[in-house]
Amino acid sequence: MTEPILAEGLVRKFGDLVAVDGIDLCVAQGEVFGFLGPNGAGKSTTVRMLTTLLSPSAGTARVAGYDVVTQAAEVRRVIGVALQDAAIDPIMTGRELLKLQAVLHGIPRRISRERGDELLSRVGLSAAADRRVGTYSGGMRRRLDLALALIHEPRVLFLDEPTTGLDPTSRMALWEEVRRLNGEFGTTVLLTTQYLEEADQLAGRIAIIDGGRIVRQGEPEALKDAVGSPTLRVDVDPDHLTRAAEVLQKFGEIRPARSGRLAIGLEGGAARLAEVVRALDAAGVVLNHMELDAPSLDDVFAEATGRRLEGAEEPPAPVEVGG
Amino acid sequence: MTAAAHPRPSAVAQAVAIAGRSVKGVLRQPPQWVPSLVFPLFFNAVSAAAFDRTRALPGFPEVNSFLTFLLPATILQGVLLGATAAGNDAAVDIENGFFDRLVLSPMSRVSLLGGRLVGSMALGVVQVVFFLAVLSVFGARLENPVAGILVLVVVGALLAGAVGAFSVSIALRTGSVEAVNGFFPIFFAALFMSSAFFPPSLSGGWFETVASVNPITWIVDGLREVIIEGWVPGAAAKAVAVSLALGILAIFMATRSLAARIRT
Repeated sequence: MTEPILAEGLVRKFGDLVAVDGIDLCVAQGEVFGFLGPNGAGKSTTVRMLTTLLSPSAGTARVAGYDVVTQAAEVRRVIGVALQDAAIDPIMTGRELLKLQAVLHGIPRRISRERGDELLSRVGLSAAADRRVGTYSGGMRRRLDLALALIHEPRVLFLDEPTTGLDPTSRMALWEEVRRLNGEFGTTVLLTTQYLEEADQLAGRIAIIDGGRIVRQGEPEALKDAVGSPTLRVDVDPDHLTRAAEVLQKFGEIRPARSGRLAIGLEGGAARLAEVVRALDAAGVVLNHMELDAPSLDDVFAEATGRRLEGAEEPPAPVEVGG
Repeated sequence: MTAAAHPRPSAVAQAVAIAGRSVKGVLRQPPQWVPSLVFPLFFNAVSAAAFDRTRALPGFPEVNSFLTFLLPATILQGVLLGATAAGNDAAVDIENGFFDRLVLSPMSRVSLLGGRLVGSMALGVVQVVFFLAVLSVFGARLENPVAGILVLVVVGALLAGAVGAFSVSIALRTGSVEAVNGFFPIFFAALFMSSAFFPPSLSGGWFETVASVNPITWIVDGLREVIIEGWVPGAAAKAVAVSLALGILAIFMATRSLAARIRT
């Protein structure tokens, strides 16, 4: 069977800027594939190429077996897309937009009416269906955007940062809908996100993208296992930062951490925690806070890029270790 | 929920849907259409009051009222004001991302552009009928009402399509509402430098020269002849042909702009 998404050496340049730098991607039928990376990593540019909105500068990509450049019209018939920032006309009502979308896809009126009602109900917008979209909240617009992407029963669904800016309740509701689509209908989903939890919760496989390149790819658990040791994060008195780093590096490699904090991959895990505390105490380091976390996708990202994804954490400050 | 097994979408149905959306969009935003109906009438009323006595000047067309003389100008003003809404809407769609959603559908490019222009033309026809109705009440006369209305409606629709296509072309090139609005004064300057508001032959000088090579003058003169003289095939053909030529030119520009925007 043809892979729903297959990209080889995909490149996109904007002048001198290389936004996507040779991406290879293979998404299997019925898979939810997460594309994880910070802002500007190249996620949306990749999606725009895969959905025919942008021409690749080099490389090839096929969606549902169709070439995104030479068979763009065929690609558009079989994909559903919810772009970043819910692109919806605020002057129209939700029902009118669904109807318009159905006409553009050539769906007969009777079927489009039934399907429109069903989708509105599924995304919880039946009551607001005849209100202008301009009066919708951010979460309602996202849900309508998803319904619009589904009206023609696409084979492949692209969701570009679908929950950015949503409150936790709306985010969970959208996750549920993605799970349902994938579970009940087997829809293949490519989801871009900058949220680690979202990728962890929804995706069967993920690709971590940074600087236009895929730096890690695989199942989330396997990627986390590959990181190995858990991360020990330590918050100490600022005056003791250098001394604390000297002590900590004896217990594992220094990992990227937020400014003013330290993190290491604690070799031996939780069993060595007491030993660390004693060593810090012996060195006269005043501890403000300490936490030990099992490897996360953030650790995977940090290990691959040298930076933290979550909370805009910065690379670790260079630490002078006396010798 | 897999495999879109729907028939290939009809380009006509798509164009009608886009035209319907354009018309709805304009009607739901009164600031987009109220000025295009009110300002030309206001301008017409002021001009008629100020310049009515100029009808006595030798060489001024023989008309029963200055309103009759100004009828083509009123219609052109309204169409220029109204049809730029098509460009504004296109620019707003690009700015808010809805244009991407349209492009992402299996929609024919002809429908994407044609739908908007049909919407513009439909609104242009409504404007012409409205101005004819109002100005008739206040004394404007058509020598041959059937021929006059027919020619005015056709030219109004063609010009609405032309101005709509030109403004959509600007929107597609720039993706900016400000840029579309920035071009609006050019249309208006072209209207003022024509025979729309005063016979250029009575003004003389550079104005007469500029007006004589202004395509809007050719349209206005054709319309005015039909209004004053009745069914004059040559005059009607001139107004329709020039409007059609402008429309074809503007659609060519808009098509090129659309191709440039999509081929990114």
